[in-house]
Amino acid sequence: MCFVRVARACSAAALMIAASSLAARAQSTSDVFREAESKYMFGFIDGADIGNEGEKAIEYEATGSFQKRGGRYMALEHEFAFEHVPTQNFSYELSAHALTHSISGVEDLDDRSSTQFSGASAKLRYLILGRGPGSPIGLTISAEPEWSRVDGTDGTAVQAYASEFKIVADTELIPNRLYAAINLMYEPEVAKPAETGMWERSSSAGVGLALAYRVTPTVAVGVAAEYDRAYDGLLFQTFQGHALFAGPNVQINITRKVLLAAAFMGQVAGHAVDDPRALDLTNFERYRANLKLEFEF
Amino acid sequence: MTPMTIAKHGLATAALTLGLLFAAPGARAEDTVTVNISMKDHRFQPAELHAPAGKAIVIVVKNLDSGPAEFESNTLRVEKVVTGGGTITLRIRPLEPGRYRFFDDFHPSTEGYLVVK
Repeated sequence: MCFVRVARACSAAALMIAASSLAARAQSTSDVFREAESKYMFGFIDGADIGNEGEKAIEYEATGSFQKRGGRYMALEHEFAFEHVPTQNFSYELSAHALTHSISGVEDLDDRSSTQFSGASAKLRYLILGRGPGSPIGLTISAEPEWSRVDGTDGTAVQAYASEFKIVADTELIPNRLYAAINLMYEPEVAKPAETGMWERSSSAGVGLALAYRVTPTVAVGVAAEYDRAYDGLLFQTFQGHALFAGPNVQINITRKVLLAAAFMGQVAGHAVDDPRALDLTNFERYRANLKLEFEF
Repeated sequence: MTPMTIAKHGLATAALTLGLLFAAPGARAEDTVTVNISMKDHRFQPAELHAPAGKAIVIVVKNLDSGPAEFESNTLRVEKVVTGGGTITLRIRPLEPGRYRFFDDFHPSTEGYLVVK
């Protein structure tokens, strides 16, 4: 089973590398490396760029969570977003979400196969420092309030309100070629499952690090790691578990107005309280994958 | 903390964000410089603009070609379409010294620089 997991992770990584290498071959190598937008360059880790004033885009994003304890587990979130950059320092994104669950024989979870409209969110980004002449570092803060009517883990009915807050910084280690980013994350949530009718409070915190290298002017490949901690209570009252994820990512600018980004991460270490087994598959998934397709207009 | 308190905190955060967004004082006329550039035969004329550091900049772009162009710059953080024969005005925040590249996104080899000293 362990071998199968590793093989799947390796296959996903190999697919990403193959895709990027194919795309790389398709691009003219004579193109010059110019400034690139870092927002989606690091996979699950955000870049500090927010886009240019006047930019509008629609975006489809799919984020999958795969494998819990035993059985078969998949939760796939579809996000349809409109994004606008009204000023040189501020952008917002409005999104509608749907969730697909396929759960069978998983420890502590009921079997389920469903796709449901799951909620809505907004993402507000404020650029404090723009990377470029005069500043080697880009620095952005963001808030992403979200309303959910479906529990992301088990697919049951819920009323949930959460907001992810991030501090995002990035830099160019080699100008226009090698980029690095760091994210600090905090996400409080209140949720009332329909089954219990009681409000529950939880929070998570994390730190992410990523590197991305542009192999051609339009293709960047990278690696990222993210360490997450889960708590009961909005301000880290009771520790529930932690997990370290790592994996590759790729960004392809298909045209100047169309962008594709994909990322994969596997849990490489972790632990849930009251569970002596390795990895935290109570609060987190074993694998996560993300695909973004953005059309600018 | 109740859900209502969370909602209030969310609103406070949104208010803070909007406050930051609009807190920048309006640029006074004497703190603003205007530079003009035109596009002809898919070239910027002049290809290099100059402006002082620390002052808000207004760039007036005239497209003398018949087809549309899109003035764009990742370091100036602006993009705007200018129709054939049309004119656009872009307001840029005060900048640090350096060379800021801009280009026509519809014809990416058409590029120029704003040199800030």
